[in-house]
Amino acid sequence: MSEQNSNNQNDNDQKMLGIIPLNWRFDLASIPIIRWMLKQRWFPMIIILANMFLFMVILMSGVIGGFSSGNYSFGVMFVWILWWVVLMMLLVPVLSRTWCMICPLPSFGEWLQRMKIFGVNNKLGGLNIKWPKKLSNMWIMNILFLITTFFSGFFTVKPLATFFLLGGIIVLGILLSMVFEKRSFCLYVCPVSGFQGLYSNMAMTEIRVKDPAICAKHKKKTCVTGNKKGYGCPWLLQPHSFKRNTYCGMCLECFKTCPFDNMAFNIRPPGTDLLVNEQRGLDEAWKNFIMLAIAVMFYVAMMGPWGTLKNWVRGETLAGWLKFITLHTTFGLVAIPGTFLITSWVSKLVSGAKDIALRTVFINLSYCLIPMGMAAWIAFSFGFLLPNGSYILHILSDPFALGWDLFGTANIPWTPVGTGWLVPIQFAVLFGGYIISVDFGYKLCLQTYGDTAVAKRGFIPLLVLLTLVTVAFGWLYGG
Amino acid sequence: MSIIKTVISAILLLVCTVGPIVATLVYESSRTRDLTAEILARTPEKGNFSPRYLKVALGEKIKLRVRNVDTVVHGFAIPALGVDAGEIKAGHYAILEFTPEKPGKYDYYCTTWCSEFHLQMRGVLEVTAR
Repeated sequence: MSEQNSNNQNDNDQKMLGIIPLNWRFDLASIPIIRWMLKQRWFPMIIILANMFLFMVILMSGVIGGFSSGNYSFGVMFVWILWWVVLMMLLVPVLSRTWCMICPLPSFGEWLQRMKIFGVNNKLGGLNIKWPKKLSNMWIMNILFLITTFFSGFFTVKPLATFFLLGGIIVLGILLSMVFEKRSFCLYVCPVSGFQGLYSNMAMTEIRVKDPAICAKHKKKTCVTGNKKGYGCPWLLQPHSFKRNTYCGMCLECFKTCPFDNMAFNIRPPGTDLLVNEQRGLDEAWKNFIMLAIAVMFYVAMMGPWGTLKNWVRGETLAGWLKFITLHTTFGLVAIPGTFLITSWVSKLVSGAKDIALRTVFINLSYCLIPMGMAAWIAFSFGFLLPNGSYILHILSDPFALGWDLFGTANIPWTPVGTGWLVPIQFAVLFGGYIISVDFGYKLCLQTYGDTAVAKRGFIPLLVLLTLVTVAFGWLYGG
Repeated sequence: MSIIKTVISAILLLVCTVGPIVATLVYESSRTRDLTAEILARTPEKGNFSPRYLKVALGEKIKLRVRNVDTVVHGFAIPALGVDAGEIKAGHYAILEFTPEKPGKYDYYCTTWCSEFHLQMRGVLEVTAR
């Protein structure tokens, strides 16, 4: 999975957009009350429990509430409007994998392993088998997430479909936790985990060690083995040395187990991890392509003017639905990667670099699609938040469509907000993503090709592709 | 101390999992104590009115809640009793209160064109002498 390459420039000296030094950090945990909180056993468990309450309401709304009416279903509105928007616009780009920190879905399995909720019991139950090495990557998550999107036409209109999806994730999480060690389910299976991991490379926060020299001297490595104060990293990382957000679930156990208070919760410039050449691989590259494909397909299916395609996605006929699956899968797994492969090949060709493998170019450069992909998702999210956000006020007061009015907002009518600004906002977001993608695209060329002149030549095809993709998204969203 | 922690953990877990279910059932049953019946409205091909037959006693005050759990607009009316809820949008409901004064079988209908099977969307309210 690892693709190592020489790097002629110290990443620490680089600046985002030539302005913000990528090595700038501020440790939020240097604020005493925050450090104290991060080290408590009740944190983040208390938020997980509150979140579990919320998810119980979501699950109940799938079977009690308006059975077929998506816009008046707590589950549909909360999961696919509020949660998705908060995840894509705030949690992942700003707070990295904070959602994983407070996610209630794998908790039942984890509690069964530990037989404790708040306390520490490092003798974990279950079979505790190691996850197969060949499957220790994002491929299963890629496939599962893609398969999940096959049912997108049902999730947003049928509350029961959302119930089955979330219920299925919980059951699968429990079963796998009883067989495999620690958070293997979150690391290698959960469909929501993969894209969060990849896009959290863009995040403005990270958990890292403060002083690696302290860790080097610490022989016990309690962040890995655990101690009386906490568990060894449930995400199977080496907290003393990992360099990317991708596989850190931010569970905060390392804050609790470190006897030297050597963990930091840093604020940092966005995109820092895009330049970390560690554990890069085809699985992550394909996650990129799949996310771009889904952003396009969701827009076309949900907001586009093509009625036939909408009918396919909604499964009006089995033949139509199968056509959608074929088209969607081919687009995400073949067409977009194929286009990127051609771009990488041309990049290598015009760069003149003969000693660098095409595979390395392909994988490394794919990381510049992350800012653009994230921007496309944020722009897409505005497309349903602004027109449909007001439904959330209704469902908060009447979560099961039973005529409740808990907070006095049940009778607020559907009120689109700021839709006149929708397209300009989407264009601005897409343009922002484009600029950051171009910036990191050049840096990745420099990292891959090693020589400035070679990198400049190799960057031209990438710049053309990024520009064309942004124009295509602009046409799609605003055309 | 360990026992106290375990008990607190168990209580919190119950509050966050079983709690919403119990709270919903208790709150809803207290709200609907005086409800005679609830009728769910769906297009005929998705299940029709549910139930499609109701039996009530003559002279008894009837309180019906008609919930539209469909994706299209429905209506509800019992013309022979002068009862009409008008349009009920998807995800909304209507409360109808009336007192039948004659025994008999009264048809109730969907009053909004909802599907090609709209005309089949109907049920019967039977009013029986005490």
